[in-house]
Amino acid sequence: MNQAFLDYYNLQPLLAAIHSWLCGIMPEGLAIFLECVVVGVIILVLYAVLAIILIYMERKVCAAFQCRIGPNRVGGKGGLLQVPADVIKILIKEVFKLKNADQFLYGLAPFLVILASILTFSCLPWHNGGEILSMNIGILFVLAASSIGILGILLAGWSSNSKYTLIGAVRSGAMLISYEISIGITVLTMVMLSGTMDIHEIVMSQANGWNIFKGHIVAIVAFIIYLIAGNAEANRGPFDLAEAEQELTAGYHTEYSGMHFGFFYLAEYLNLFITSGIATTLFLGGWMPLHIAGLDGFNAVMDYIPGIVWFLGKTFFVVFLLMWLRWTYPRLRIDQVLTLEWKYIMPLSLLVMLVMAVCKVYGLVF
Amino acid sequence: MESFSDYIKGYASGLKSLLIGLRTSMKVFLEPKITEQYPENRHTTLHIPERHRAKLTMIHDEENHHHCIACGLCQMNCPNGTIKLTTETREDADGKKKKVLVKYEYNLGSCMFCNLCVNACPHGAIEFTNDFENAVFEKDKLVLTLNHEGSTLAK
Amino acid sequence: MKRDDVMKTIQGAEVCPGNAGVIKVPLSDFRHVAEGLRNDPQSPMDFLRDIVGMDWGEEGLGAIYFMESTVTGDTIAIRTATTDRQQPLLPTVSDLWKTALIKEREVYDFFGILFTGHPDMRRLFLREDWIGWPLRKDYDMKSNPLRLDNEINADITKEYRLQRDGTLQGIDHRVFGEDDFVVSMGPQHPSTHGALRMRIALDGEVVKKVDPVLGYIHRGIEKMNESLTYPQTLGMTDRLDYLSAHQSRHALCTCIEQAAGIEISERAQYIRTIMDELQRIDSHLLFYSCLVLDMGAMTPFFYGFREREMILDIFEETTGGRLIQHYNVIGGVQDDIHPTFCQKVKDFIKHLRKVIKDYHDIFTGNVIADTRMKGVGILTKEDAISMGCTGGTGRATGWANDVRKRHPYALYDKVDFKQITYNECDTFARYMVRMDEIMESCRIIEQLIDNIPAGEFRVKTKPIIKLPEGIWTSAVEASRGEFGVVIESHGDKTPYRMHFRSTGLPLVQAMDTLCRGWKFADLIAIGASVDFVIPDIDR
Repeated sequence: MNQAFLDYYNLQPLLAAIHSWLCGIMPEGLAIFLECVVVGVIILVLYAVLAIILIYMERKVCAAFQCRIGPNRVGGKGGLLQVPADVIKILIKEVFKLKNADQFLYGLAPFLVILASILTFSCLPWHNGGEILSMNIGILFVLAASSIGILGILLAGWSSNSKYTLIGAVRSGAMLISYEISIGITVLTMVMLSGTMDIHEIVMSQANGWNIFKGHIVAIVAFIIYLIAGNAEANRGPFDLAEAEQELTAGYHTEYSGMHFGFFYLAEYLNLFITSGIATTLFLGGWMPLHIAGLDGFNAVMDYIPGIVWFLGKTFFVVFLLMWLRWTYPRLRIDQVLTLEWKYIMPLSLLVMLVMAVCKVYGLVF
Repeated sequence: MESFSDYIKGYASGLKSLLIGLRTSMKVFLEPKITEQYPENRHTTLHIPERHRAKLTMIHDEENHHHCIACGLCQMNCPNGTIKLTTETREDADGKKKKVLVKYEYNLGSCMFCNLCVNACPHGAIEFTNDFENAVFEKDKLVLTLNHEGSTLAK
Repeated sequence: MKRDDVMKTIQGAEVCPGNAGVIKVPLSDFRHVAEGLRNDPQSPMDFLRDIVGMDWGEEGLGAIYFMESTVTGDTIAIRTATTDRQQPLLPTVSDLWKTALIKEREVYDFFGILFTGHPDMRRLFLREDWIGWPLRKDYDMKSNPLRLDNEINADITKEYRLQRDGTLQGIDHRVFGEDDFVVSMGPQHPSTHGALRMRIALDGEVVKKVDPVLGYIHRGIEKMNESLTYPQTLGMTDRLDYLSAHQSRHALCTCIEQAAGIEISERAQYIRTIMDELQRIDSHLLFYSCLVLDMGAMTPFFYGFREREMILDIFEETTGGRLIQHYNVIGGVQDDIHPTFCQKVKDFIKHLRKVIKDYHDIFTGNVIADTRMKGVGILTKEDAISMGCTGGTGRATGWANDVRKRHPYALYDKVDFKQITYNECDTFARYMVRMDEIMESCRIIEQLIDNIPAGEFRVKTKPIIKLPEGIWTSAVEASRGEFGVVIESHGDKTPYRMHFRSTGLPLVQAMDTLCRGWKFADLIAIGASVDFVIPDIDR
């Protein structure tokens, strides 16, 4: 087995060629500026498109769990145009102002949420050479950036000047801060296994086997912990206390309308995608194809599938797992959520980290 | 130590119950769906039972005859004042005075489908049908005239 | 004190006509009699079934009190009245029975009778700025134009005490303190199951006090019925508790039939009983759906609805209605059962027995659901009896209150079924009572479905039905408790007064006791588990 496959679809040479071509026809500063704009547009478009796909998927999947068929009218038999139609509808709806709200913070909150979401979104390793924000502390940056979202939720709840939103925001604050610990520890566990914090390097280190196979039982437990904590972090059921429709009508975003509400909604789905994407990066080898030792023919076929297909495929698989969880369980109560974290998940994640360290030291990982 | 073993046991049984839940929801995920696609199924699978009460009608035969003798029992029996009869007294060929139905107005909007009018009718002149697609955009259109244009009492 | 003692020792005590056997007690002795009945050593009348306000015209304004002993099963009904129409005063019994706390408010709301010593004399259903007392016979229908301004709920309530010199002293009580964080839940809220509103004082997530504000869909059905003929009143019962439409109508039909002396055929009895039980399954399936939904599990919600839809289809085939069926009529049922009815019911029960396992797998054993329900929202047996919380809520406290066993009607004395009781008193027990009752109802139906005798389904009645003078009553076990009807007839074709015992009113009253000290999320689960339906409360 050689490492040739890594170069099949490597985007790096192509991107370098474009850069040097641009530099040839304009000053370098302008070229970089132009590239930034293009990349920014790509991110936003990708963000919106993925949100539409995710919302459609959620509606179809949850329908199937509930003996229904889901959207099936707009845009042919499958209801493919239902979500784009909803997007247009939400875009033309009024964004209203509240009388007694803190106008500045009320307006700022949805943007903080969406900012956090886009920042983390940009760090995902889409493809070989296709990562957008690349730095040597990448995973740390993801953790830091995702925390901005909590601030947005807290501000939204507080500035709306409503009792329901306030309860929702405080719930979400308590919950997210707790679960970040578990996320941090599991991420650290995998960093330990990979030996680097750079997202690109983490993926590259899995060229000879995904982390979930390399770390065997320890990594699988860490994976489950990460999924649970990540689900809580994305504010999704059974951890959707901050929204808790049956209790708080809509929680922290009760008082938002139009696209301001749309931002919260988008961020919720993209956070689901990001959580899954990070899980894919850390545990399932990012854009790395599946290799089975000994089956060279099979491996070669796998190599021909482009990295982005692998990445999206794995991520959507994890997304499906999370949806399965969401559409099965009743919601936890706030004290149960905290008990689960502090009494069950956090001790377990600490244990996992310890075991991983031991395994690493004694070479018990592959 | 016992509390620790309880802790572990709680951990395990909790996990087990969660897995059973996942199994059940996946089972239903794979089962056929039960959604009824109205209005597409209007002429295929849609089944509205005969007895379904959706709209009051007056029975007319082919010669445009009905059986209403304009006695007003249905109007009296209606709890909501849904039925309004307009009658007039005419002399028939033998010179006998007789009450004749002019207009039978029925307000679908205030009907509660209790069937008292049909029960009260001595001649079976009215009945409920299962024609349920009665939505209209204006309230006035809910007031229906049940006797057909130019219809007369059956002999 | 027992029934005989009341008759012997109280001067002026006399029995009114009608099957209720109401004893007239002079106002001066009323409080003494009530205490005597409540504290009788052998058979304490600890369950106050209902308080029915009345305007007897010249005899004055008053109320009928229906009581029952949970120890011996004895029942008694007493009535008292005051002739003072300007300032009618009755002594409160809210210190003897907690249910009087809310039912006396209802009487006050409709008749303007002040209950001296009652700690909370606010209106119950109508707006606080309502003029007049609508169920009095001299009420002017035009006195309240449609108001378009918001109703402001006062935080202060009054208690009236009668001084020795005969004057009335008002004492203020606070409903909510000035520093309370009061959240208004409803009337538009996803989990109030209709237009219920509760004002909830919160301390962080913890509930400190719940104050139900009722009347958002009050339609004045009792007042309307006073001008409707008996067959016409039947249509209203379906619109009380719409998940017990069939049973409510059964109760009213039974009451009228008993009063008018109409014997109905055995076939009709069979059909009524089967329909009652199907309705119960329907209601309990919806209970399951709503409970799981309120606890955040959206998927099992659809399981319940999937099976409920089948029942509605069966209903529709025979009765012509789905939610509101208009099936029972005076003298039997509207139509004979559909030829496919028996087979469909049998198929459905078979199907239900199969899928009910899924219901339990996905929710009952689930660790999240278990910890959210077990040990949460305790209502003791004493409280349940005192507040009159019948139905599944009462049976979850170990109080065997099933009317089908206590006062068998229709065919319930002929079929073999178990009364489900649990002793845990918590949300989980209330949930399990309903789930077990589904299976018990299936058993009842299975015993009857193959043996429906031939015969007429409806006996001929006179075109105009008039009830003999007197106070008539009947009760059935509706889906969520004891549903009762009280008719006072003066011999006309319309009732002089018709009152329905709401199954949900005591349950709403119990919310405060149930939820105090628990979390806000628990309040939602408790509310779902006591299973109230608002149109039945507001009437």
